[in-house]
Amino acid sequence: MLAFALRRLLVSVPILVLSTFLVFVMVSLSANPLDPLITRNPPPPPQTLAAEAHRLHLDQPLMERYWNWITGIFRGDFGPSVNSTMNIGHEILSRFGVTFRLIFLAMIIALILAIVVGAVSAVKQYSKLDYTATFFGFLFLSMPAFWLAVLLKQAGISINNSTGGQVFYTIGASSIYVQGGFWAHLGDVLGHMILPTISLALISYASWSRFQRGSMLEVLNSDYVRLARAKGLPSGVVMRRHALRNALIPLTTVTALDLASIISGAVVTEKVFQWQGAGSFLLDAISQSDVYAVEAWLLISATFVILFNLVADLLYGVLDPRIRHA
Amino acid sequence: MLGKTKSRAAGIGALAATAALVLAACGGGGGGNSGVQTGQTFAQCDSSPNTCNSAAADQLQDGGDVTMAIEKNIANWNVTSAEGNVLETGLVTKGFLPYAFYTTPDLKPALNQDFVTSADITSTNPQTVVYKINPKAVWSDGTPINADDFIYNWKVQNGKDCPDCAPANTSGYEQISSVVGSDNGKTVTVTFAKPYTDWKNLWSSSGAMYPAHLAAQHGDLNSPAGLAAAYKWFGETVPTWSGGPWKVDNFQNNVSLTVVPNPAWWGAKPHLSRVIFRIITDASQEPTALQNHEVQVLYPQPQVDLVNQVRNIPNVSSYIGLGLTWEHIDFNLKNPALANKPLREALFTAVDVQAMINKTVGQFTNKVKPLGSHNFVPGQDGYKDVVSATGQGSGDINKAKQILTSAGYKLQGNQLIDPSGAPIPTLRMRYTVGNQIRQNECELFQQAASQLGVKVDIVPTDSLGKTTSSGDFDVIVFAWVASPFPFGNAAQNWVSNSASNYGKYSSPQVDNLIAQANTETDQAKATDELNQSDQLMTQDAYVLPLYQKPTFIALYDNIANVRNNSTLDGPVYNMQEWGIRKG
Repeated sequence: MLAFALRRLLVSVPILVLSTFLVFVMVSLSANPLDPLITRNPPPPPQTLAAEAHRLHLDQPLMERYWNWITGIFRGDFGPSVNSTMNIGHEILSRFGVTFRLIFLAMIIALILAIVVGAVSAVKQYSKLDYTATFFGFLFLSMPAFWLAVLLKQAGISINNSTGGQVFYTIGASSIYVQGGFWAHLGDVLGHMILPTISLALISYASWSRFQRGSMLEVLNSDYVRLARAKGLPSGVVMRRHALRNALIPLTTVTALDLASIISGAVVTEKVFQWQGAGSFLLDAISQSDVYAVEAWLLISATFVILFNLVADLLYGVLDPRIRHA
Repeated sequence: MLGKTKSRAAGIGALAATAALVLAACGGGGGGNSGVQTGQTFAQCDSSPNTCNSAAADQLQDGGDVTMAIEKNIANWNVTSAEGNVLETGLVTKGFLPYAFYTTPDLKPALNQDFVTSADITSTNPQTVVYKINPKAVWSDGTPINADDFIYNWKVQNGKDCPDCAPANTSGYEQISSVVGSDNGKTVTVTFAKPYTDWKNLWSSSGAMYPAHLAAQHGDLNSPAGLAAAYKWFGETVPTWSGGPWKVDNFQNNVSLTVVPNPAWWGAKPHLSRVIFRIITDASQEPTALQNHEVQVLYPQPQVDLVNQVRNIPNVSSYIGLGLTWEHIDFNLKNPALANKPLREALFTAVDVQAMINKTVGQFTNKVKPLGSHNFVPGQDGYKDVVSATGQGSGDINKAKQILTSAGYKLQGNQLIDPSGAPIPTLRMRYTVGNQIRQNECELFQQAASQLGVKVDIVPTDSLGKTTSSGDFDVIVFAWVASPFPFGNAAQNWVSNSASNYGKYSSPQVDNLIAQANTETDQAKATDELNQSDQLMTQDAYVLPLYQKPTFIALYDNIANVRNNSTLDGPVYNMQEWGIRKG
């Protein structure tokens, strides 16, 4: 297992390097970090532009810049940002912390919902419950993340207006000033978290629940489940130990593979709810042509995706002993 | 039976959830029709821009918080540096930086008497300006604000004493030969090597003061390296000091900045106990934040949807102002076809500016009118319409064709042929990618040109700076920012050898007039010279002004003394007067 994990990680390194190189070249050639300065009215003096170009290494050849960046990473230096006061490494780590708080919660909610709804839908196939779950599954599946987030915001505001209180918030991860003690602060944080978390969770839930339903149906019709029932095992035991456990195996893979799309969903959710996480970091970096910041984001998010896929493969082995033996 | 009940419950739940989402989709804030303001707070702003939404101190609550949305994080605290010189940083620092002049909502410069009791030209040869600093003016640590502060802020912005400072602008500061203090540093005498018409722009709110005594703690102010070190320190350090009515209480990177009254402030005490600047980087999220009372004041770039959304929120007033940023179409005179004046004149005559306005910003306001000057905007002293009389921007196709025919151009099928018999090549028109308004403007220009037999290819750019500075365009649409101090701007935009004269227009007469206007001590004479130069340039059909870009402010009706200010000073120009109405 350890050798397998190491082999997988080693294969990932050249992929990472290649992707960072391609993005570096694309961003460097397509955008100019000095643009906001050059287009100012009045423009800064020429010596100011020259100093800024030097600080951002724009006076070096492209390949040299890339080489210095990639080697600098081993010293913990992610290169200069267009915002001279920003340390890219420090900033991006704190931003990913914010994003993973959002993603982690959303994934947990989406997984629990998907497993429960998917399993119940499969067990009660063609019932009204199944049809209702199917309807909502497809509704959320077909809804753009951005639109769903906006609708949830409006729903939250409507509830606030009708209750006369401030239960839901539409921007940020917390209020700047909160009156009261621990419970007031907790309520404030929850009030800020509910809408973005639901927004992100529902999109993943939609596809996962459909997947779980299909997987569960397949397992329920399998020979070993029929045998377990024939042996007179209680229905609950059959469901938990034989059906559900085996039906979870494919979902594990799908969840891991979906991480990249969840991160992109988080980018949208963060933008709408103004969470200053990794998503808004990337959007700001792109809009400012901040090459080194875009690169850092790509490197870290790609690393997370690779690690997550590896964890999924290892988990697969835990859930399905046949994989281990293979 | 139970199963039935459960499934019915599920059905009802599904119906309720769907209904909630549908209702949410339809939900505005209720009340009011689109295009009609629900609040009347700004009703007097057109006629009384400097005093509308006023309330006396006895009508205001004592204290209270107001949250205003801003659209960028404060990445650099030194507003005089190239990196820190962004609108949002200017807005939030205005409360704690001292400055000599600022601009009122009616676009006129005004003396900040809390800081300097007078600023006068005492000699015209050499030009000498004497500033009298308010005797009570102190930094928040008690250190008097004095001539040393003027000297430090001059040295870091003159481009000579500190080559590595990277200031946003050196205009004016580089023309100063000396800054001398007297009366214990409370009188400052500034002498210019050559006259500088825009002298009120120096140490003004767009390039305010930083404390010299703190700068001295971070570098030797008599050496270039020391000046640069201090200058950099101001950029990267959240100010705990203040020289204004407010001081920083709390800064959360990328989230918010809170300012509270400065106890050492010697002027009128602010009414509010806190102003919170909440960073919302996506303007389209601002209306919902306002609707949900998470912010109380907005000052975004107006867009149709955003404006209509805000107008539907109950108890909220909004106002469209006309700012100093102005949109224009420029020709590149390095293109041999466009070097001929009649073709340029005809193309500009064929463009219908009013139609452009109607199809873009006219969708949410009827205030915007075609602009008639390259240096001033309506409302500024000195504005003179030099464009209308030429017929440029009128959309008069027949007149445009007449201009071409008189100059010997011919139409062969759908192709315009120049007097030498050569077909006019296809023109490349550029605009910033993703800017829908400018894309529409390009398409309208393209349609107008096609009626004259000129083909235009619209090619977006993702680097406006690169495109303009390299001259990679035949026609381009973008915006300049006018200024209450327009003379330096004119030199940068229109003089032959200026790097910002992207279309390479060159006229010795225009150059001379602008140079004269920039070295006058008589403002009226300078204004007249600038308008003369504009008249000549307009006749040469180099740049067609389109319109002033609108600005937009919205707030809850109970907030008083906040009003539109479409200049770089913004609505925060009088933040110490802001307050919440009683009741």
